[in-house]
Amino acid sequence: MNKSTAEAERRQRFDRLVTVWHADMYRYAAWLSRDRAIAQDVVQEALLRAWKSLHALRDDAAAKQWLLTIVRRENARYFERKRLETVDIDNLTASQSALLAEEPDEELDELRESIYELDDDYREPLVLQVLMGYSTSEIGEMMGLKQGAVLTRLHRARLKLKDKVAAD
Amino acid sequence: MNCEDYRQQISADPSFDGGAGHLSECRECQAFRREMLSLDERIRRAMRLAVPELSLPELPGIDEAADDGKVVSLDTARRRPRATWFAIAATVMLAALVGVRMLGVGVTYDSLADEVLAHLDHEPAALRPSTTPVAGDQLARVVPASVAELDRSAGLITYARSCEINGKTVPHLVIQGEHGPITILLMPDEPVAAAIQLDGENIHGVILPVGDGSVGIIGARDEQLERVEKNILDSVRWSI
Repeated sequence: MNKSTAEAERRQRFDRLVTVWHADMYRYAAWLSRDRAIAQDVVQEALLRAWKSLHALRDDAAAKQWLLTIVRRENARYFERKRLETVDIDNLTASQSALLAEEPDEELDELRESIYELDDDYREPLVLQVLMGYSTSEIGEMMGLKQGAVLTRLHRARLKLKDKVAAD
Repeated sequence: MNCEDYRQQISADPSFDGGAGHLSECRECQAFRREMLSLDERIRRAMRLAVPELSLPELPGIDEAADDGKVVSLDTARRRPRATWFAIAATVMLAALVGVRMLGVGVTYDSLADEVLAHLDHEPAALRPSTTPVAGDQLARVVPASVAELDRSAGLITYARSCEINGKTVPHLVIQGEHGPITILLMPDEPVAAAIQLDGENIHGVILPVGDGSVGIIGARDEQLERVEKNILDSVRWSI
């Protein structure tokens, strides 16, 4: 296989994977960073890294977890570089506020704000389980946690949301 | 199963389908389950943010991408003149002695070194001499393909477990050296700017920078680690 053919095939494979999984990458990045602008930056970096590392992905069936793991690392790198301060929900930037102002649905807006306010340790496994559809053992693998720790975090996250929803 | 156990399970995972016996007899838990399933559906809807149109970054050609240092053969990262290694190691040792935190890396070198050495003390089972290779499926679990590719050329791997270093789960492997077990810690998320020499009671070793992470290699005081380093580095490749 000559070089241009190999490059074209690689690009086709990459485009196919990205088309399928871009939305999940973006939503995961957005809920990790809690900021739409940062999420876009993180996804751009993740896409570049995925392109460079594509040869390491042996099985396209594993692409979703592979891409989300890259997003997770890029998000961590972003925050290591920027050392952002803790977010104060009463004093959000426009980009942060944009995450909460999704659609004119008061009930969902309140719930979205409650999810936004969850600690990272609780919010991330919840996103991986509810939105991405991963099992607790898979979440443990992705986050480097034992399954018991994942179950505890998910349990606490839901109770916090349940209490918040009930209070509102 | 009692109410507390059931509710803990269902609030951690609303798809939990155990405890059917308890559920059929407990109306309160039936209501709790319905509430959790309903909450989950609302969480899912709240999390489904609108996604901006996909815009790809400028993608380099194959040659450029291959030359990028982010996905590297460990061997590539290792090829430096011996004098350079010596100078780097000496500098880092000095920095560690005065407790200098290296900017931009986010890890205090002496604390990572201390943590690696302390970890060995907490896993004495790993340091038993053995001739029994670890099972392939166990090795695959400890070193998943999403983290690194590993072949068996490093040596006879007799121990493989997932361990915690600096709050992150890392593969802890052991091969058999001439003077006893040699510990290998694959740390893809622990960047170090230069080699860190390790010096413990009856053991010595090194943490080598590899791509965006590092690899710790520790053996008995008499073990000639230089001999095995290259084999180890040749046998591992980060996946990301």
